[in-house]
Amino acid sequence: MSADYASRIAFGPGAEDNGLASMVAGLILQNLQDRPDKRGDFARLHGNISIVAEDAGVAMTLEFAGDHLTVHDGIVGIPSITVRAKSDDIVQMSLLELTRRFALPNPRGATARAIADKSRRGEVRVFGALLHLPMLLRLTRLLSVN
Amino acid sequence: MAHLFPSEPWATAYKGAVNDNPNYKSAGKDWTHGAVALIVRADPSIQLDQDMAILLDVHAGTCNAASYMSGADAREKAAFAVEGPYDNWKKLIVENQDPIKALMQGKLKLTKGHLPTMIRYVESSKQLLASAQGVPTEFRR
Repeated sequence: MSADYASRIAFGPGAEDNGLASMVAGLILQNLQDRPDKRGDFARLHGNISIVAEDAGVAMTLEFAGDHLTVHDGIVGIPSITVRAKSDDIVQMSLLELTRRFALPNPRGATARAIADKSRRGEVRVFGALLHLPMLLRLTRLLSVN
Repeated sequence: MAHLFPSEPWATAYKGAVNDNPNYKSAGKDWTHGAVALIVRADPSIQLDQDMAILLDVHAGTCNAASYMSGADAREKAAFAVEGPYDNWKKLIVENQDPIKALMQGKLKLTKGHLPTMIRYVESSKQLLASAQGVPTEFRR
């Protein structure tokens, strides 16, 4: 598999000026370049995932097409999953602790517990999570800095 | 006495403010990833004829040096660089705006550095920028 992941991530109109989109795309690219264990998740992702930083008034959409990603400004299409949270909490999600086995979110981790608490309070909302759980888990691993 | 932002005296005062910030000392204690440059984009209307920067030599929760230099020099020397227009930096300092929100809104950009590392140390970054509020500042506009 080619390691040239930069060529597999494209930006839609206006997306490069969208700070959230740039950050998320940059994080995905860096992870793909640094971490071969995340490349399988990238290859298996298909569909749209939107992320909305509610306090910043910014939204973006990741359009995955198995080993290729287009990053869009705003919400595009009908996302399978939409994450709505404050800027800080979106960054916190990339700090989620992962289990050593299977690299799943570790429910005992401090970050995971904090995110779970915020979810219960409605401060972090993930629409489509149950219906698209494998997709959400792949995205979590792809965005994780752990 | 207020210091003009950005300038060498402001950088010197900022170093002191960072080191006086216990939250930065705590959040940044594991930072060993190199210097951070805060770059203000050129704006001739306020006598910034080129990009200018504050280069922070930060390590393990301490700021060892803060230097005022051209943006070009800072980009070369720093491991991480955050850039933005003057007015956005002013807003960040005056309003203690969340730098993460500013990055997501595109008001500031991380133009150099390993993003996953920056994210791992997000609290350290926030405290570094929050320290700027401790500097008596005179703005150019």
